[in-house]
This record gives sequence, structure tokens and C-alpha cells, in this order.
Amino acid sequence: MLRKKQLPELLKAWKQNERMKENIVQWTTIPPREPKTVSFPVEMDERIMQTLQKRGISSLYTHQETAFRHVEEGKNIVTVTPTASGKSMCYHLPVLQTLSKDPKARALYLFPTKALAQDQKSELHELVNETGLTIKAETYDGDTPANIRQMVRTAGNIVITNPDMLHSAILPHHTKWVAFFEHLKFVVIDELHTYRGVFGSHVANVIRRLKRICAFYGSNPRFICTSATIANPLELAERITEEPMELVDNNGAPTGTKHFIFYNPPIVNRQLNIRRSATLEARDIASELLGNGIQTILFARSRVRVEILLTYLQELIRKKLGPKSIQGYRGGYLPQQRRQIEKGLRQGDILGVVSTNALELGVDIGQLQACVITGYPGSVASTWQQAGRAGRRQDESVVVLVGSSSPLDQYVIQHPEYFLDRNPESARINPDNLIILVDHLKCAAYELPFKKGDQFGQAEIIEILDFLVEEQILHHSRGKYFWMNDSFPANNISLRSAAQENVVIIDSTERGQEKVIGEMDRFSSMTLLHEEAIYLHQGVQYQVEKLDYEEKKAFVREVQVDYYTDANLAVQLKVLEVDKIRTKHETDLAYGDVTVNAMATIFKKIKFETHENIGSGPIHLPEEELHTSASWISLPESILQTIGHEEVERGLTGAAHVLQHVAPLLVMCDRSDLHVVPQRKAVHSGMPTIFFYDRYPGGIGLSEQVYEQMEKVLLQAEQMIASCPCHSGCPSCIGNVEENGKELALSLLRVAQGGTIDVS
Amino acid sequence: MSLKNKLNRMKKQLTHVAPERETTPVVEVTEEKVSTQKVLDDVVLNELPVEEDHKDHFYSKRDQEIPHYDKWDLLQASSFWTEHDYVMVREVKYPLDHLHGRYRFEELFTVMEEWEDAGLSHPLSSSGKQPGDLLFFDTETTGLNGGVGNTIFLLGYSKIEKNEVVVRQHFLPDPFSEIALYQSFLDDVRTSKDLVTYNGKAFDWPQVKTRHTLVRDDVPELPLFGHIDLLHGARRLWKNELVSCRLSIVEQEKLHIIREHDVPGSLAPMLYFDYLREKDPTEIAGVLVHNEIDVLSLITLYTHMSKLVLAGERNHFSSLDEIFEVARWYEALGAYEEAKKHYKVVAKSTHLLHNKAKAALGHLFKREKDWDRALYCFEAVIRDKSSSNEEVCVEAAKICEHQLKDLNKALVYTQMAFERWQKKGSLLRQKQKVERDAYEKRIQRLKQKMGK
Repeated sequence: MLRKKQLPELLKAWKQNERMKENIVQWTTIPPREPKTVSFPVEMDERIMQTLQKRGISSLYTHQETAFRHVEEGKNIVTVTPTASGKSMCYHLPVLQTLSKDPKARALYLFPTKALAQDQKSELHELVNETGLTIKAETYDGDTPANIRQMVRTAGNIVITNPDMLHSAILPHHTKWVAFFEHLKFVVIDELHTYRGVFGSHVANVIRRLKRICAFYGSNPRFICTSATIANPLELAERITEEPMELVDNNGAPTGTKHFIFYNPPIVNRQLNIRRSATLEARDIASELLGNGIQTILFARSRVRVEILLTYLQELIRKKLGPKSIQGYRGGYLPQQRRQIEKGLRQGDILGVVSTNALELGVDIGQLQACVITGYPGSVASTWQQAGRAGRRQDESVVVLVGSSSPLDQYVIQHPEYFLDRNPESARINPDNLIILVDHLKCAAYELPFKKGDQFGQAEIIEILDFLVEEQILHHSRGKYFWMNDSFPANNISLRSAAQENVVIIDSTERGQEKVIGEMDRFSSMTLLHEEAIYLHQGVQYQVEKLDYEEKKAFVREVQVDYYTDANLAVQLKVLEVDKIRTKHETDLAYGDVTVNAMATIFKKIKFETHENIGSGPIHLPEEELHTSASWISLPESILQTIGHEEVERGLTGAAHVLQHVAPLLVMCDRSDLHVVPQRKAVHSGMPTIFFYDRYPGGIGLSEQVYEQMEKVLLQAEQMIASCPCHSGCPSCIGNVEENGKELALSLLRVAQGGTIDVS
Repeated sequence: MSLKNKLNRMKKQLTHVAPERETTPVVEVTEEKVSTQKVLDDVVLNELPVEEDHKDHFYSKRDQEIPHYDKWDLLQASSFWTEHDYVMVREVKYPLDHLHGRYRFEELFTVMEEWEDAGLSHPLSSSGKQPGDLLFFDTETTGLNGGVGNTIFLLGYSKIEKNEVVVRQHFLPDPFSEIALYQSFLDDVRTSKDLVTYNGKAFDWPQVKTRHTLVRDDVPELPLFGHIDLLHGARRLWKNELVSCRLSIVEQEKLHIIREHDVPGSLAPMLYFDYLREKDPTEIAGVLVHNEIDVLSLITLYTHMSKLVLAGERNHFSSLDEIFEVARWYEALGAYEEAKKHYKVVAKSTHLLHNKAKAALGHLFKREKDWDRALYCFEAVIRDKSSSNEEVCVEAAKICEHQLKDLNKALVYTQMAFERWQKKGSLLRQKQKVERDAYEKRIQRLKQKMGK
């Protein structure tokens, strides 16, 4: 048997291995960083200082000290430092400092998930116990027993919860929390970067409501936020809290040398530009690392992939590993099980873990030596988060990013500089999205009547209040707006689901044993849950038996078939109002309000391996209408003549395929939140047009962002097509093999950037 | 695009208010109605007669500003003014000998005297209190949930005042006037000491506290009332007997109160919203009457439940089921003498529960180490072939073995228990095994002791 290699040895071997060398596109070595520390602030409470000293800590990292100082000075802060840099001390220390002086003071800790809240509770309990301070820190969430809740409300110094709980259980019952709100000194928002898009827009409004309640009880808490690396932490923090913030980014935590390897699986079919599966390659790399006893985390894109990789790895290296194990980690595991895995990783009993992005968030699993990422996670920020899982303070570590054959992956893997030099994405929110804003105004009015002249963050609310009066939801009397409805508004508003009316998916495989397995927004359900559609859920195939569109229920039954279904959605866009426009030579770039009318028409059954069409059928569903915001590129009408109608159509389709990948990347959103639709003749102008529209009613600012960055979007799309090694189109660029497809798409993209047509 | 246009375009998405989710029912309302105030009811429901102008002369200047003051007047309501604001207070008086359901109000005095004489500690007891201390209290709200935004628009109560029963209802004529509402109400109830409610501990009073918190800087503090919540007792007494313990069902089945032309409590929010638009009290009159009957029924219900609990023997008003439940209630409270007294009534009867009563008596005697009486009770149950209660046999066996040292008898009862247990069969295999072992061990031990 071969001797086990240490990581540096293994890396050396990789550098010499021919096969590896061929597939490694880029090998970047990030040099180690020395710790930067400062002595404890003089004003720090003796008990806290002694606790840290007993833990062997004799100084603070620079960012921790800066955070402490700013908060002591009464400032709001947002700290941005990488994983494992002692980030939570940035809020624990100033909060405990205040509590050590004022035992009546309260703090609210918000975490995006219950698991993180639990983690922090344990950490906090240990810390508090060691200081000997009498501070009660408790979680308050759906799992908190009723008898404890009362205690938390009246006596909890630190209440640890999530935004959903704040929205639906705390704020609408604020009168039970009088003492808490009267003495609320701090609001801690951890993992701030997760609050973006629809979720972030909701949370910003929940914070508006929180601040209103605090003002009512006479408190004015400071905000302490922490974020993973994103481009605009300060802006995001200021938008969510609507308070002036100080940025703390002078990270003083040390790191060892880190190797970042971009790995592209070998091409197996040059003609079609098909590469070996990223999953298989990642599996092989991970098993080599694990086989040498190197603690490794393997990130996979989906829950199913996690299970597949796990089974394989467990099988492959069972003999080599002895008692140490390899575990999976994903949503759907019980909290208890997750805690055990986290502990096993920290203590080293677990050698390997295969995870979805569930481990991207700050769950404490210690630091591993190696990280293998299967497929580009979709954003620079997310990639750094996953990569941050590997990297010890002294030792070397390695991150291997294995590209899949999607256009985005191929672009990133072939342009490592794009990733390495680039700032991470910005996180966008739009708290003033009309639907989100109106929902939270209802909740806010429920919590406290509005007076004329009252503020709700920076939103314009008076017209909305009058509208709600007209709709008989509020009652206006002598300058005040009162909630006058018998419902409990927070119940109808979920912070995390995009649409208000979701279709529930019911598994009716076993009669009498029907169970809900998921839900989907109405708009998507038209193409994914129509009758006879094959719906994939956690790797299991279901066929939709019946879609009750009125009752919003889809009944599915488990099946095993060798095809999937693909539905055509006929989309019509009407521009209602143009808010912004700029011209690039003959091309107009614009942003405004649109109506999207979508109707599912037919679906096709497509065979897995061969992609042949093996049947089709009509879809009978009513048209859906969506009012939202959109940006668009209007190309000159003349190109219809110069290039030809049919060619323009093909070019637009190809360009749209690439743009659908590029645009979400730049505005940092999920692909399904932003749709790209090409139209040969747009209804409003008759010009060949590509639309980008927000999928969420009313828009959450994604398409506006696209408008702002349109040049960048177009340039990147152009580069992506130009650099694709295929001959005339492939799934990694314009979607299909088409004669002249790449040229057509490229020339349209050039025109869009203000260029002229030059078809060879 | 202007915000207004956007709002109108997206109206459907914005005003979508889903029906209230089925959460834990915090309130038990919705009733049928009695004809207590049928006259008023009719007047109100069939439109109030048009008032002549000269009627205004009777009203003060500021009252004339109140919309439809004449209609309020007809409803026996008048204004309560603070410096700049007002609420409406409706007052209706009844003589003490007025019959509401099965009792006259004055019987409250009798049961309160009985509580005084009984010297018992019981959640229903009014011992030490005067009739005028009790506030029979109920609210009407704009929703059924327990959140901050659920506004109380009516604080109603009945109480004994001098030689009358007075119903007083503090009504919120406009949501703006909540400060005046609590000033009026708190000013009015200063002399009361205890609340008597139906589900008031879980709903009405916490909701009063919630809404009071919103105006706490401008109004006096809430008094610290004692609180008798009749729902708890009603559940104890009638949970098995009635389909539900909603006040309306209890009124109908137990208090002989039949409501006519009742406005269901569930409509109260809607009617209040209608009222707010028009400010015409006609809209809300039905709710006022509904609440009036509620608070009057609380007197009758309190009287009736007290009578049931206080009656120690067979009487014309309690059923044996009720006497049995009263006994259990006493037992749960640790009032064993009272419990025995009530169990005995049932044990002596031929009612289905007589064996259960005897077994319960047996347990109570056992507590007192009165082994002979305990065994007597258990044996009485055992002798009844229709009962197959093996646990009672075990109880008897235990007394025989450990206290009376009658091993033969103990063995007989143990074997009897075992047989009865075997006949019964069990669905739970695991439990069955444990139980079988216990029986076999007991039999084994007895046989050893007997030297067999």
C-alpha cells in the first residue's frame, strides 16, 4: 500500500502529473497572512478580558478592536471579513460590554436560519458562563417551548431569532415585549449578505417596522451587521437598516498559504464541445485527497448530487479510512444530526463532508484543509464563501474549482482572471417594491396606527395609506390611519417565498397517504406543473396527474421514465412606461414598467440521453399577467432587412441564451428571478428587442441593475460566445448547434453595444 | 409612472387578504339569542323612527355634534366626554327579580352567601367578596386573533349596583378615541374587584392589556382584578356532555336561555367596520344587544355553576353526571371531604358512573389509610360482573396483602385481575409484555409468601 501523502507533497505530485497539468487551467497561490493584533481596549470589562485571557487570547484582531471601538462610540457598524476570522466577537464583545454595565439592557440577534441561531446560542452561553456575568441569552423561534417564551420575553437580555419570527411572532405582539423594546440597545444582523433580492427587500421592511416599534417605546438601538465578502456591504447595510454605518474591513486574522486551482474536465467530444462530467472529476479529486487522509469538504450543486457523491466516496475509501468517516450535509437532515456532523468535523472524527451550499453559511465546522467545488456556485461571493471552508491559520490549504459544461462555468473556468481580479457581486434589494412595501405597511399599521407625516424608512407612504383606506383595510380618522380589518396580516406574508399565491405539490402516489412535498409560484407552475409534466423532486421523478389551478394544487404520482418535459411559454411584453433610456449609436437601451402576459402552449417529451423529441401535447391553462419592471435592448429595425428576419430571430435567441446566464451573474440573483426574452418585433416599437424582466411582481431592482450595467453584460456575453471552442454553437454558449448561430448572435451583440453589422 | 397608477394597476395583488388562518381559537363567541330586549331589538333592526328636530333641544351643544346622537339616545347610550374627545356609554338596568334563563338575578346573592358559609377554597368561590365587587365582563373586538392590531371596540359588563343589575357598555365611536375609551372604562370600574368572564383569562383580559399598553401614557393603570374564568369550570362539568362548551351552547342546554334575532358574534367585526363608515349606531345595535345578553348570561352561569358545585346531595338541578364531575373537580383541588360527599351520591345511584364513583371513593379512603372502607368500595366494584376493571382488583389485592395480611384473598383478587386483564387483550404488544410480567410476579410473590 502506498504511503499517505501530506498536502504539500500531493500538490507537488499534481504539478508533475501530465493528466492533471492538462486540465488545470490556472493555479494561483495566495500567500499567507500574518495576524495583526492590538491589545485589549482599556475600557473593556475586567471579567470579559479575563475570560479571553483564560482562553489564551491576549489581544484582539484589528477588525475586532475597531468594531468594539466604533460601537462604544455609538456608531452602527458592518464588518466584512472572511470565514473563520473571529467575526462573531465583533458583536459579542461590545454587546457583553454594555450588558456588563447595564443588566437591564437588551440585544436582538438575527440569523437567517434556526441552525445558526442555535450555534450562536451555545457559543454565547459558554462565553457568558466563563465571564460570570448574569446575562440571559435565549433563542426565540418556532421550537421554543411556550413556558420558556414568557421568560425570554420578560427577562432575556439577548434574544436570538430569525427575521421570519420577528415578522410574524414578535412585532405583531410587541405589547408582550414592553421591557424588551424599552431597553433594546443593539440589533445584531449576522450574515447580512444573505438578505438580498426578495428576501432582503422583505427584511428591510421588517427592520423598518422594528424601528417604529422601538421609537414607540423610546429606544433607538445600534445596528451591528456582519457580512461575507460582497462588493457593497456598506450600501447593503445602509439600505437594510436605513442608518448611517461604519465599515469595518481591516481583517487582522491570519491565514496560511492557499492554493486555488481551476480545473476543467477533459473534452470527450470535440465536435460538440462536450466535457467529462464535473461530478465524476470532482469525485476523483476528492477521493485522492481523502485517501491521503486530508480533511476535505466537497460542495455539490444539489441534494441529489450530494447523495450520489457521498455513496460513491464512502464505498471507495472505506478501507483506507479506518474509523474516520465521510458524511453528507444538506437541508432535510435533522438538526440533531447536523450538530453531530459539525462537531465531528471540528474534532476531526469526520474526515470528509459532502455538502450543498447549506455549509456556505457561517456554521462552525472548524477549518478544513481542502475544498472541492463541483461547478461554479454562480457568484464570486458564494465561491469565496465555499472556498473559505478550507484554510487553516498556519497550514497550507487547497481549493479546487471543477467546471461543468454550462456556459457560465466554462466562461469562469477559462477566464480565471475574471474571477480572481473581480470584486465580488453587489447585493441588491428594493425595499420599496410596491407589493412588498404594501404588505409590510399593512403589518406596520396593524402594529401601530400611522399618523400623517409618519415615516416608514425612506418610502413614500401617504398615497399607499390612502389607497388602503379606499380598500377598507385601514380607517382614516383625524390624521391617523388605523388597522380596521379582522385578519392578522403577518400570517399571509412569507418573507422567503417570491409569490403570494403558490401552488402546493401533493404526492398522491399512495391513496390515503397524500402528502405535500413542495410548492411553486403560479407563474413557474404553468411550465413545470402542467398536466403530464415530469416534475423532479429530490431526484425522484413525478408525473403531474392533475393541476387544479383554481385551488392551487398539483397532484403528482411517482414514476420512472426516461424522458423529461419541456413546455413552451408564449410571452408577450407590453411596455407601459419608459423611465430611463440611453442610445448607443443605432441601439436604444431602456428601463421601465412592463406587463408580461404569458401563456403555456405545448409541451414536449424529450428523451434523456439522445434529446430526441418523443411526443408532445397541448397545455390548457389561462394566461397569466405580471406587472413588473424590465430593461431592454432595442436594435435598429433596419437589421431585419440587412440580415434577414429569420436570421435576426435566430441571432436574438442565441444571444438571449447567453444573456440569461450572464445577467443574473452580474446582478447577483438566482437565474429564475430574472428572465430574458427575445422578440423579433417588440409590440411597443416594432424593433428587434431583448427584454430582461424581474420575475417578482413589481420588480425588485434586478432589471434596473441590468440597465445600469448593460455595457458590461453585453461585453461579457460577447466574450463568452467568442471564446467558446465549439464550432457553431453548443449548450455552453448559444444553446444549440446552428449554422452561423455564433456569428449571428455575436453581430447582434456588437450592434447592441453601438457597433455596426459586419457579417462575414 | 405615478404611484397612484401603479397602486390601481396592481390592486388585485395588493389587497389580497387571505381569510384568517385557522390558528388556536382564542375566543369562543358566536351565539344564538334570547329575547331579553326584544323590543329594543325590533326597534333597531327595523330602522329607528325618524326623530323630530325639536328633540335636539334636549341635547347639549357638543352632543349635537355627535353623529346620530338621537339614535344613540334611543339605544340608551349617552356620551362620556374627556377634554376633546368622547365615547358612548350605554346603560341598561334590570330589577333584581328579573328572570334571565333559569334564575332571577337575585339568586346570585344566595349563592354568594353559600360560598361564604361553605368555607371552601374553590376557583369559583366568591367568599369574602360583596356582590357589587363582581364585574361580569366581556369584550367585542375587530378580529379573533390575539395580536396588537385587534382593536377592542366594546368593553361591556354587568354588575350589581344598589338594588339593580346594571349593564354598562363602553363603546369606541372612532378608533381615534381609544384614550377616551379606557379613561371612561377605568373611571367606571374603580370600585370593582373581580372579573367574571368566559375565556377572559386567555383572550379578553390579555387583549385589554395589549390595547391599554398602546395608550398607557395617557390613561390610568389597569387595576389588578381577581379573575374567575367560567370557561375552565364549564369544560370540567360539561366537556363530555355537550358538543362544545361555547357560551351559546351552554346557554341553550344548561341555562335555558334562548336568543332570538341574535347577531352572531362572528359578524361583530364586519358590523363595526360598517358602522365606522356611516357612524350610524343602527349598524352596531345588534352587537350591543348581543354583548348585553352575554354579560347577563354570565350572572346566570355563575349562579348555576356555583349551585352545582355547592350542592352536596341529590337535588332537582344537577344530573348525576354533573355531580360526578363536581366530585372529580374537588378531588383535583385536594378537597377530599367534598369529593367523597359527591362521589357517594353517584355511588348510591344506579347511574352508569356508579362503579367509577365507588372506585374513586376507594382511592380516597385508601389515601386516608381507611383500609376497611377502601376495600369495601373496591369489592363493591369487583362484585359487579358488568365491570371488568382489573386495576380495581389489583387495588383490592394490595390492601389485602400489605395492610390486612390476608394472603388468600390477595391471591384470589390478583388472579381475578389477571383473568380480567387477559380477557381484555391489549393492542400494544410491548405494554402487554410488561403488564403480564407484573401480574405473574405478583402472583409468584404471593404464592411464595403463602409457602406454596
